[in-house]
Amino acid sequence: MTSQPILLVEDNPDDEALTLRAFEKSNISNEVVVARDGAEALAYLFPDDDGGYDVPRPALILLDLNLPKVGGLEVLRKMQADARTRLIPVVVLTTSKQEEDILDSYRSGANAYVRKPVKFSDFADAVRALGVFWLLLNEPAPSRGPESD
Amino acid sequence: MFVALLEAAPDAMVCIAADGRLVQVNAQAERLFGYERAELIGQPVEILVPDAARAVHPGHRAGYVADPRHRPMGAGLSLAGRRRDASTFAAEVSLSAIDTDEGILVAAAIRDVTDQRRMTDLERSNHDLESFIYTVSHDLRAPLRALSGYSELLLEEYAGVLGEEGRGYAERIVAVSEHMGQLIDYLLHLSRVSQAELHLQPVDLGGEAAQIAEEIQRREPLRHVRFTIQKQVQALADRRLIVTVLENLLDNAWKFTSGREDASIEFGTAPSGDAALCCYVRDNGAGFDPAYAGKLFQPFQRLHAARDFPGTGTGLASVRQIVERHGGHVWAEGAVGGGATFYFTLDDKESA
Repeated sequence: MTSQPILLVEDNPDDEALTLRAFEKSNISNEVVVARDGAEALAYLFPDDDGGYDVPRPALILLDLNLPKVGGLEVLRKMQADARTRLIPVVVLTTSKQEEDILDSYRSGANAYVRKPVKFSDFADAVRALGVFWLLLNEPAPSRGPESD
Repeated sequence: MFVALLEAAPDAMVCIAADGRLVQVNAQAERLFGYERAELIGQPVEILVPDAARAVHPGHRAGYVADPRHRPMGAGLSLAGRRRDASTFAAEVSLSAIDTDEGILVAAAIRDVTDQRRMTDLERSNHDLESFIYTVSHDLRAPLRALSGYSELLLEEYAGVLGEEGRGYAERIVAVSEHMGQLIDYLLHLSRVSQAELHLQPVDLGGEAAQIAEEIQRREPLRHVRFTIQKQVQALADRRLIVTVLENLLDNAWKFTSGREDASIEFGTAPSGDAALCCYVRDNGAGFDPAYAGKLFQPFQRLHAARDFPGTGTGLASVRQIVERHGGHVWAEGAVGGGATFYFTLDDKESA
């Protein structure tokens, strides 16, 4: 299994706690880094340096749409615009089932869109399925380093 | 020339002298305010102003004469006119000043905008309601997930500490949160149905009903219910939505006949009166108290205890919403223990 972290972008502390708990239950061993708004997520993804990474590239990003400061769609667009982050798989994990939100997410570069179920066991199942698919089954884009793009 | 122009104007027009008296009115103004011309000439213009605004009007009038440009009156205010019978109407007024030998005359064009204003009010409140429902349903889901999540974690990790009674309570919290989740989803569904565009196409309601009946029967193969479904019931409707109507009505009939050995469910058409089509779904199940027939179609109203007939109490509200979107209406007939018949029409002439 990969040792790259999972980036969870989530402002609701309860959802954060439950998502972390769901990861624990599913035996996914990757470290989960939490960003509590879009700005924190961007600061993590684009650290102030001269273009190189001093943090490991996340294996997967779980992104809420409704976030303080910088919204989820904005985070997606910024990631799409930068070669260093364009190929990181992003799963939008949100409460909204609104067609516009789903379309906007895909248009902005999301790889998947999952609505958070209300029932925790369903939510835990969803998190486990996401982990299995994106971290084990899915073949990620080869990492050639930021300079070789 | 001036009088002829006034008469030809499409709007009601009145001319007011510097002292605020009416000096000229056109036929449209007579009609709009319900006065004869002779009753108006020489009267203060305030006779046409609703009581509430009458006291302040002379002040506004003086203000206009001091700076007489052509402009709409009371920008940003909801203006109203007063008819002879003291009733009022929403009005739009534009003013212009005319320099004459007898001094400055003010000409006012008055338009009755009751319908427009009611429409924009309605549109605004619909829009507000939809965005309110959207926000509420999303904001409510998050705490609900936490409620259900922490209760499940208590059950999983502290089952021993909780004891049997405690586990029972935690299970109730989980079940109730799930139910509330369904209610919230229904709210979202309702707001979506009311916004959705209708894609009208020919649909055979008999064929759809037969298919739904088969599907319901497959879910509970051990129950025996006699379905009688009229064939070839052609309707012009949005297929997806009208199928939801039939599903809800047939599901209900299935649910409320569950106590009967000789259950029967019927789908057919009735004389349609002014509507293009009138259909019914009849069952010989638990029925309902006709005194509460009006409540059947209101969201979250249940006439039966949840333990007897489970459900969220939203199916029939959804039926009504969809049928009304199709220009029809719904009603129900029934008696306690005597079965129920649900009627719906499509495309009523009077609402077209």
